[in-house]
Amino acid sequence: MRTYRDLLRSAGLRFALLYTLAFMVSVGAIGWLTVLAVTDALERQAQRGVDNEARALVDEFNAGGRQDLEAALTGRFANPLTHTRYVLIGADGHVLLGDAALLPYTRDPAGPAASRSDVPLTAARKLGDGSIVLVADDLTDVRDVEAVVTRAFLTALAAAGLLGLGTALLLSSALLHRLDAITRTAEAVVAGDLTQRIARTGSQDEFDRLAATLNRMLDRIGGLMVNLRQVSTDIAHDLRTPLSRLRQGLEATSHRATTAGDYRVAVEHAVEETDRILDIFSALLRIAQIEATTLRKSFRPVSLSELFHTVADAYAAPASDSGRTLVARIVEDAWVQADHDLLAQLFVNLVENALQHTPPGSTVGLELDVRGGSVLAAVRDDGLGVPASEREKVLRRFYRLERSRSGPGNGLGLSLAAAVAELHGGRLTLSDAQPGLRVSVTFPVALPIGEGVAG
Amino acid sequence: MKILAVEDDAPTLALLVSSLEEAGHVVEQAGDGQTGLRLARETAHDVAVVDRMLPGLDGLELVRQLRALGVQTPVLFLTTMGGISDRVDGLEAGGDDYLVKPFALAELLARINALARRPPLGRVETIIRVANVELDLVTRRVTRAGHVVDLQPREFSLLEFLMRNVGQLVTRRQLLESVWDFHFDPRTNIVETHMSRLRAKLNSDGGPDPIETVRGSGYILHADIS
Repeated sequence: MRTYRDLLRSAGLRFALLYTLAFMVSVGAIGWLTVLAVTDALERQAQRGVDNEARALVDEFNAGGRQDLEAALTGRFANPLTHTRYVLIGADGHVLLGDAALLPYTRDPAGPAASRSDVPLTAARKLGDGSIVLVADDLTDVRDVEAVVTRAFLTALAAAGLLGLGTALLLSSALLHRLDAITRTAEAVVAGDLTQRIARTGSQDEFDRLAATLNRMLDRIGGLMVNLRQVSTDIAHDLRTPLSRLRQGLEATSHRATTAGDYRVAVEHAVEETDRILDIFSALLRIAQIEATTLRKSFRPVSLSELFHTVADAYAAPASDSGRTLVARIVEDAWVQADHDLLAQLFVNLVENALQHTPPGSTVGLELDVRGGSVLAAVRDDGLGVPASEREKVLRRFYRLERSRSGPGNGLGLSLAAAVAELHGGRLTLSDAQPGLRVSVTFPVALPIGEGVAG
Repeated sequence: MKILAVEDDAPTLALLVSSLEEAGHVVEQAGDGQTGLRLARETAHDVAVVDRMLPGLDGLELVRQLRALGVQTPVLFLTTMGGISDRVDGLEAGGDDYLVKPFALAELLARINALARRPPLGRVETIIRVANVELDLVTRRVTRAGHVVDLQPREFSLLEFLMRNVGQLVTRRQLLESVWDFHFDPRTNIVETHMSRLRAKLNSDGGPDPIETVRGSGYILHADIS
């Protein structure tokens, strides 16, 4: 089950938090730059204001002399809304009118202030009679605006941080939720329930696609497991039968046999039965070995034409003895990269199957052709065929058609043939020969190298 | 014949040795590859029977080293599993024949005989004679008591193998391998079918059958029948 610890450890949360942090840093930087720009603009505006005011007062003096100037100043002192301050200093250096605190600024614009932010903006003008008029703005308005803007940005920053944190938690929780579905299914499979599948959302997003891929993987594993279980059961069953027969035979012998002849016959039977069991074992081992092989170091160029001639030649006589006809249509110089022994066994198995599962009077055909980049090899007969629904099944180990169950054979011949075909990059397919069965194998063609042609 | 048996499984080795001795051979035995290699170098043997899987020095390596030292003793490999490339690997390492366990005793003895009878390198025969049967390897013509016997190519090969191993048991498996190059057991009795045709043609003039069938094992071509 999911815990807070899981949430805190989640990569999704870490990514989201990192993203939030980056976002907040950028918001902070933008805010700081904005405050700087706004303050600068306002300060410049205020400076222009005091300059204009000083010029207006100088105009006032030039127009109406000292009296008009003083009247104008007195009028301005009366305005309670303005933060502008004034001082008029006589030629002798005494304050005639206004704010005496501004006196130091007439000599040094920086005045006695401890820091830059405390310096008021000033504009001083010398008048015709030697007195000085000074206009100052203590920047209260600018500082107010600066504070407001700063506060606004800090609020935005806090909001962004909270929003980011919330989103991060939500996002990682959602991610965990999606992954939990996958984890739960995987845990169930680990615990042994191979039927579990990851629930799909159908959104086709990356999680949905991952789920689809994992489900396909589980299907494949499940199929292999079923196959393995089936094979184990089949092996157990198919070996039990001859083993039980062997045991019964030996038991009966120990009760009934009296003469050396009896014993000899019994031992011969036992050896035959043991051979059958060993045959099943070696066929199974061979199939398993072939299926597990990817290494093809033993592969050499093999003339499939020659091999087909040998097989046709070997089976023509047994076929005619059993009342069947073997015909062959073999193209010359068909070469494949192969293990000769395995290929021989493949086609011998196919021919033997055809001869064994067709009624007397049937014709079995061996066909070899080269078309495009492929060698087409096939064994067909005009017998009873295999129903379409059974064609895949007869390739399974031990699978036998109902009608041939009583005959000889262990149900491994076609499995072996299919495994050999696959090892050689070919595929064994069963089709309807109308009438009868056609088993075909397609190989990629190999050009013989060097003396391969002559040999 | 003097035979060297190299096999690590003690019960199998004991059975192998007693069977070979019973068949009249003199047997030297080794339970591992190193001992086997030493024995093979020290004394000459007619045939060496070597298990493929041995602890320490394995069968393949043993034979490879033996051949590198110039020892030409014919080697018969034994193996528990007829693997995909096992036969080819065995032959490439310098082995001469290959037998998959479990095998019938008659099979082992027949193969040892065949190996020991291999003509030395360089000696080329063109005509083989057994009793009144004559086989010409160049013209591929067979006569019995001077009369031409018309044989199919595989029947010719069957007869050739029997004549080369005259008086010895030749197994079905040996014939499958040498005549058809089939290194597995088909279900169909290919050998029997072709053998009966060969015999019918060979004995068509009413002469006695020189080929004896050994039930469950194979055939023997006898020289003393004419």
